[in-house]
Amino acid sequence: MKALILVGGLGTRLRPLTLSVPKPLVEFANKPMILHQIEALKAIGVTEVVLAINYQPELMLNLKEFEKKLEIKITFSQETEPLGTAGPLALARDKLIDDSGEPFFVLNSDVISEYPLKQMIDFHKAHGGEASIMVTKVDEPSKYGVVVMEESTGKVERFVEKPKTFVGNKINAGIYLLNPSVIDRIELRPTSIEKEVFPKIAADNKLYAMVLPGFWMDIGQPRDYIAGLRLYLDSLRKKSSTKLATGPHIVGNVLVDETAKIGEGCLIGPDVAIGPGCIVESGVRLSRCSVMSGVRIKQHACISSSIIGWQSTVGRWARVENLTILGEKVQVYDEIYTNGGVVLPYRVIKSSILKPEIVM
Amino acid sequence: MSSSDERVVAVIMVGGPTKGTRFRPLSLDIPKPLFPLAGQPMVHHPISACKKIPNLTQIYLVGFYEEREFALYVSSISNELKVSVRYLREDKPHGSAGGLFYFRDLIMEDNPSHIFLLNCDVCCSFPLPEMLAAHRAYGGMGTILVIKVSAESASQFGELVADPDTNELLHYTEKPETFVSDQINCGVYVFTPEIFTAIQDVSSQRKERANLRRISSFEALQSPTRSLLTDYVRLDQDILSPLAGKKQLYTYETMDFWEQIKTPGISLKCSGLYLAQFQFTSPHLLAAGDGSKSATIEGDVYIHPSAKVHPTAKIGPNVSISANARIGPGARLKKCIILDNVEVMENAVVINSIVGWKSSIGRWSRVQAEGDYNAKLGVTILGEGVTVEDEVVVINSIVLPYKTLDVSVQDEIIL
Repeated sequence: MKALILVGGLGTRLRPLTLSVPKPLVEFANKPMILHQIEALKAIGVTEVVLAINYQPELMLNLKEFEKKLEIKITFSQETEPLGTAGPLALARDKLIDDSGEPFFVLNSDVISEYPLKQMIDFHKAHGGEASIMVTKVDEPSKYGVVVMEESTGKVERFVEKPKTFVGNKINAGIYLLNPSVIDRIELRPTSIEKEVFPKIAADNKLYAMVLPGFWMDIGQPRDYIAGLRLYLDSLRKKSSTKLATGPHIVGNVLVDETAKIGEGCLIGPDVAIGPGCIVESGVRLSRCSVMSGVRIKQHACISSSIIGWQSTVGRWARVENLTILGEKVQVYDEIYTNGGVVLPYRVIKSSILKPEIVM
Repeated sequence: MSSSDERVVAVIMVGGPTKGTRFRPLSLDIPKPLFPLAGQPMVHHPISACKKIPNLTQIYLVGFYEEREFALYVSSISNELKVSVRYLREDKPHGSAGGLFYFRDLIMEDNPSHIFLLNCDVCCSFPLPEMLAAHRAYGGMGTILVIKVSAESASQFGELVADPDTNELLHYTEKPETFVSDQINCGVYVFTPEIFTAIQDVSSQRKERANLRRISSFEALQSPTRSLLTDYVRLDQDILSPLAGKKQLYTYETMDFWEQIKTPGISLKCSGLYLAQFQFTSPHLLAAGDGSKSATIEGDVYIHPSAKVHPTAKIGPNVSISANARIGPGARLKKCIILDNVEVMENAVVINSIVGWKSSIGRWSRVQAEGDYNAKLGVTILGEGVTVEDEVVVINSIVLPYKTLDVSVQDEIIL
């Protein structure tokens, strides 16, 4: 089986992290975001993954390494102009279609979930339609494109973009399983799969939706990234809790890379990921945060609801909170308070940031 | 007259409970003059400066607080400094000159040659012996301590003009609307006993005028309270202004620091000024430590002997920690006043703040302000018995007594 991952653009919403690292390689729970998807695809027997990208040579180079490690073929389909959410499928036509006639997966690289892909294959075979999509239940459907479906069979009736009155609470989760024939419906031009392609398949009664079991989150921006980490670690607790850290200084779900060092008298958690090579000195408090590789957090610092970029340093008695995002190699001086500071790479923070602001 | 037969008394005006409202919420629990700066009650600093005056026989504190509020302090400071300190309670506010006059018989009991008059709410180095020497040389009735300040800030105070050669006071005006001078009145004076005659004159002129009005004006009949004001005499407007330029009043300029202790924010600055002065006057009161056996100390820090500070804490600069406070492991205190019985728990941070009596600062919590001493919320103030729970952040806020903060606050007054 094959799969296409829509990687897309520059990941501007996840700046300043994406100023240093292409979005698919930004670690989420100590693993590049795109590896969560590639590993899930590999696990159900996908042999070739096509990445639909813009011109991103660094990304292509890095992913070639994973190709060997994961024993999966990774190829690239490179847009020369933005083709929307459907155009890249037409562009990758030759890579996706072979003699097998098997359906292929399409995944959105910003989405994190439990990837029940095996169940999706079974669902697809059972309904015999042309395309399957995953949908997920949300609290505020008016913010999204709602999928109106027949509850018993999953047959999709229509799509309603940002409905003003309630028509349903299931939205497109960005995970599809498509027969090769779907590509014949897509022209090679900028086009939307949700708005132009799926409605036509639905009109032919050949589009079915499966409700995604478990969590789902689009982690394309910092707030959702941090919320997604909580959901992911919750799910990890249920599936393979041995990967989570334990001990008297741990509260809730915490992921600590084995090469990270944690000092005395710390209190870590809940919902924290600490990357490789990090040094967390004594008396440090971490909660609801992601600490990228090579970070040093000095004594008595306190970090919550924040992302600390690669090789950054947080000074003694510093307080970092409220969606503070530190880019790569940022230095926060001793005793500094940052409340929602978004700090671009290599900046040195010598005075407190009392209200959310961007530090260029 | 040789200085050996001179006798000097000092009078410190301490005000009363209806004054010092700008000092809330800290003055809700303690008379403002007893609020500690550099670990010592505010009034302690002028008192210990008076102790250095040659031939000082007596210190009077004059105010309209209840006697009992000062009883304990007055007896302990008398013992400590081996000088008689008495609290004299006015029946009502008389103004600074009126207050002095009200107790003239007591003040003149020992027949002093000079009377110092100090306002309690000023913070300065009180160069009293130098002032007295200058006063003698001038030969006038009174000498005023003055300081040069920026032209913008001068208008909040009494502005004055002095002769640059003789230092005679030529002109005095209180809080003028337009710029008069960048020299201001520091609220510290030395007088000869003739000052009582000057006050008496003002007071009797008032009475005469009031009587005239009472006879001649129907309106005055309707307003009997007017007569009550006859014994209210302000030193600045009623004495200094009219006597300027009459070769009776002179000025002595200080080159040291000076602040009026109006608000809690300013008091934090003043605490730092007094701590810095301790380097010269009372070095034994300043803490030392490098983190091995006792806490790491940076800059000027006062720690009461009964306070417990963990060796892993880092303290200073400008920190004073009062009796029985407990500072936990890994705590960081900087530019703050920690009052009696406060507990600061592990890894907490307190910067540019005043933490009221018996308050509790939780683990990894943070109490901070920007440190603009003149801004309304430039220093974070926690009243008595405030609890800041673990990991809570309190920034640029004032918290009234006995509140518990379980969520972070910024730029707020919590009633």
